Amino acid sequence: MEWMELFIVLRGFFNMNPSDRKVILFFLLLFFIFLLLFSLKKEPSNKEALVYFKNELVLTIDLSQNDFYKTKGTQGDILLEVKDFQIRVVEENSPKHLCSKQGFIDKSYETIVCLPNEVVIKIKEKKGSSIDTVVK
Amino acid sequence: MKSIGSFIKKYINVFLGIIIVLLCIGIYFIRKNTYLEYTSNLYYMNTYIQIRLFSNQEQKAKEALKGVEEIFKVYHDLSNKYEKKDNNLYTLNEGKQDDFLLDSRLYDLLEYGIQWYEKSNGLFNINMGCVTDIWKNYREKESGVPTQEELFACDISIDNIKLSDHKLMNQGQNIDLGGISKGYTTSIAADYLKEKGITRFIINAGGNVVVGDHYNQGKYQIGIENPNLDGSLLTVVNANNISVVTSGSYERYYEYDGVRYHHLIDPKTRMPANYMKGVTVLSKDAKMADALSTILFLMPIEEGMKYLEKIEGVEAIWCGMDGTLYRSKGFFQYES
Repeated sequence: MEWMELFIVLRGFFNMNPSDRKVILFFLLLFFIFLLLFSLKKEPSNKEALVYFKNELVLTIDLSQNDFYKTKGTQGDILLEVKDFQIRVVEENSPKHLCSKQGFIDKSYETIVCLPNEVVIKIKEKKGSSIDTVVK
Repeated sequence: MKSIGSFIKKYINVFLGIIIVLLCIGIYFIRKNTYLEYTSNLYYMNTYIQIRLFSNQEQKAKEALKGVEEIFKVYHDLSNKYEKKDNNLYTLNEGKQDDFLLDSRLYDLLEYGIQWYEKSNGLFNINMGCVTDIWKNYREKESGVPTQEELFACDISIDNIKLSDHKLMNQGQNIDLGGISKGYTTSIAADYLKEKGITRFIINAGGNVVVGDHYNQGKYQIGIENPNLDGSLLTVVNANNISVVTSGSYERYYEYDGVRYHHLIDPKTRMPANYMKGVTVLSKDAKMADALSTILFLMPIEEGMKYLEKIEGVEAIWCGMDGTLYRSKGFFQYES
């Protein structure tokens, strides 16, 4: 199916008036240059923390700025702290406070899981670790 | 010079045409081989489950994610011993009927669990619910330790689970599928994905990881977390189409009087096993890997090494009490 479409487009292209063809070629060239530039710039340049609530990405935090952030969980608000390219949960409401006890994380394969709150914090970096997943 | 110039002029459209054709073909192949990642974060079986699929067909990938979520939801409900659902484990343990007609999925899961009782010389016992309930209560209170009388008052005989003809006969069973349900379900989910034509995936359900083919012709790098929980890794496993499962004393536990009591209970002593900090099992079979990680945790490391030699295609790495690592014979093949 895709090959047929390609053939029809190409036939149209060759039956075209040469000056129109040049205009099209110019735009195509421009398109490829942009494509190249975007593919190079796609990855984030900084280290970021991604905060998920249930299955939604709710917050993206730049880890180069030391600051505090608030996000919501099923048991109430969760307070996060960013310090020296690391992130931790400072305060949350849960029976055992496992995710605030965990402390700072800074590696791309580390996660903080606040199970009762259904919140997960992950780290994303451009030249991060090549580890795909971690078994614990 | 002139002739070359006129030659180029004459055929420039042909050249440009060829370039365009090549570019189009290139883009077609790049698109065809570009696998986008589709992820889903789930919370079932008291754990965080991450599903990552790599596909070049968005619709198919999204449907598959939904399908996997449904599988985890169904098995979560069926194997849930703490919440009442239609003919689920809670209902069976309540034992209000003489027999129960079981959902075939729960029946198969129970049958699979029972098989491991014999294969492990009684170490893997799914009828330990009474004992694990007692420990769970203490873990939640975070104080005290159950007495021997309390623990040995439980009848954990596997013969109390009587299955026949898709029915379970009520014999006062108290079944706990915690040692098997996650691995079993990840295995079912992985099979489902392959059936749907999605071969590139990672499923991470707490300590249970299953990976399919790699998204980029390489191998997955699966880190094994250090039981010290300092964010470092014990080692990294490089493999595709494999399951990696850890059992450790550091995930669910409480401390009382300076002693740590975790959730992996030895049926013989009815106390938490204390031979190691953790053990990780590698196998193509995710169901087996989950059962084996529990079994190996419940026996001394040396005994475990011997036990594993009898089982084909399975490797393991143990982290001893002092942090020393022990590997089965073929484990190094998977390390970088």
